[in-house]
Amino acid sequence: MNIGPIGEYFNLALRNLKSRQLRSWLTIFGIVIGVFLIISLISLSEGLQDTIMTQLRMMGGDLIFVMPGGDFGDIMTAMIGGVELSNTDIRAIERTRGVEQVVIFPYATEVVRHEGAAKMILLAGIDWNRATKVMKEDMGYQTTEGDFPRTGRREALIGNLVPKDIFPGIKVGDEITVKGRKFQVSGILMSVGSKQDDSMIILDLDDFRSVTGKREGSPMAIVKPNPDFNIDDVVKNIRASLEESGRRRAGDDAPMFSVITSETVSDMVGNIMGVLQVIIIAFASIALIVGGIGIMNTMYTSVRERTREIGIMKAVGAKNSAILTIFLFESAIIGLIGGIGGTLLGIILAKAIEMYGNIHPMFYISASITPGLIIFGLTFSLLVGCLSGFFPARRAAQLKPVDALRRFE
Amino acid sequence: MVEAIIKLENVWKTYQLDKVEISALRGVSLEIALGGFVSIMGPSGSGKSTLLNMIGCLDIPTKGIVFLGGKDIARLSEDELAYLRGKTIGFVFQEFNILPNLTALENVTLPMVFQAVPLKEREERAKEILSSVGLANRIFHRSTELSGGERQRVAIARAFSNNPEMVIADEPTGNLDSVSGKKIMEILSNFHQKQGKTVVVVTHDPNIAGYSEQIINIHDGQIVVNGKKEKQAL
Repeated sequence: MNIGPIGEYFNLALRNLKSRQLRSWLTIFGIVIGVFLIISLISLSEGLQDTIMTQLRMMGGDLIFVMPGGDFGDIMTAMIGGVELSNTDIRAIERTRGVEQVVIFPYATEVVRHEGAAKMILLAGIDWNRATKVMKEDMGYQTTEGDFPRTGRREALIGNLVPKDIFPGIKVGDEITVKGRKFQVSGILMSVGSKQDDSMIILDLDDFRSVTGKREGSPMAIVKPNPDFNIDDVVKNIRASLEESGRRRAGDDAPMFSVITSETVSDMVGNIMGVLQVIIIAFASIALIVGGIGIMNTMYTSVRERTREIGIMKAVGAKNSAILTIFLFESAIIGLIGGIGGTLLGIILAKAIEMYGNIHPMFYISASITPGLIIFGLTFSLLVGCLSGFFPARRAAQLKPVDALRRFE
Repeated sequence: MVEAIIKLENVWKTYQLDKVEISALRGVSLEIALGGFVSIMGPSGSGKSTLLNMIGCLDIPTKGIVFLGGKDIARLSEDELAYLRGKTIGFVFQEFNILPNLTALENVTLPMVFQAVPLKEREERAKEILSSVGLANRIFHRSTELSGGERQRVAIARAFSNNPEMVIADEPTGNLDSVSGKKIMEILSNFHQKQGKTVVVVTHDPNIAGYSEQIINIHDGQIVVNGKKEKQAL
């Protein structure tokens, strides 16, 4: 098949690379590392973002979250440091104009027993009377088996990883024991996309407070606003209620609160992940640029070593464009093979981390490998190859035949 | 009157070495007739290679004009000159200069690639030429698998591949034993005699010069003898 001069130039480039295999593979390896970092880190950070966004979407757009702490940094400190909303704060929220329902989620780790096995498990307490409707309709909680518990029935709702990883084979109707009290499993939740939530056991709020001794507060309150009110107005009202209640209790030392909608949380997470991705791409790009410098170095060395060959090709009729194309093909091939290798390794690593996350109980992350990411990895590496090879290729193309032939004589 | 394939008019080639200006050619004028067999002779450093570069259009004069087929090469773009050179002139170098990564066949097809000759045609032609220089059974061998004489025959086959009007050979037998050298000169002589093509050879060897019809003697960048002679049998 006649594939024209371009095909011939490609064949020549391939031959040249094959004739310097060790050097070619070492150069390719530099690109592999850069692309590998980009693909694995981006796929994991996108996967993380997808997981968080999915969870936020499941919660719906019309919920308000109330947490102690004035800004995001304070929220994190409050959550890690165990700062909670007090019962007074929660009552202040409940009394706020435009608030339809308040759901609190206190949690604690306790030893749970089932058929002779004892495991430390995260327990949460929920007021089923108030929360079941909100959980089902606004937060996307569904059961795969059984149903939500009823108040006063000593029933428990278990996350979908409990029958798989924690108490294998546990089913609806089985009993669990917490601090000597028996609870019957009323339902198994559908996965909510979070390893921690999927491994949790939820009890009625009174039972939870009773078995854990946590009589007071909650780390967070989820508020369902009255649909007749504007959500932003309700946010302002809650903030005002909490400030007023806080001032009455503590004067100027009143605690700060964050009152944010799920939309704000989505934006915040989106922004943070966006910044994180820019940082990841920037660092991984440094590795790729180093790989590109490797290509440039290899190509300059190649031009120097093959000056006479370039002279011969020019003497037998090669135009500058032909020489430029042959050398550009060489660097592009290095870039592309490095890109393919790096993409494959990046996908393998990201999937391995995802698999590890599925096995490890406290670590949940998915890898988002999209065609766009693969195309980006390959295109970027090809571009790095072409750009790195351009100047050496131009130097080769601009050599005068007489100078190239005279060199090394 | 026989048409000139290459014509040099008052050609100077000057190199700058630090602050010293060196003239490798000093006002050289000559004509090489289409179908001629020319030897260029002279001691080392006399300007033979520079003259050959001018005749082969590998270099542009500092002063003066070089015409290839009636065209002033200084007025052509690099690409136009490359195309014209590839089509009109074949080169044979003392060090063979065949590309080591390529087989004999690929080396011979290479100039045709740059002239965009279709694959089938160039392979057929390359096999035919390699066969004519006695390398029919060596077409898939690389440079390292060939003897010096065979490499030079591959180089000659490559020089013939685009069916050029002129072949320029720089000391073509310089690195060969006498038997291989004689074979090479016979091939060049046949090319000249049977196909009526022009051959220009740079040589120190008076026996090689014996094949030629015109001998140009160069000394200190100037032509001192440019004489036609009857070809002698060797």
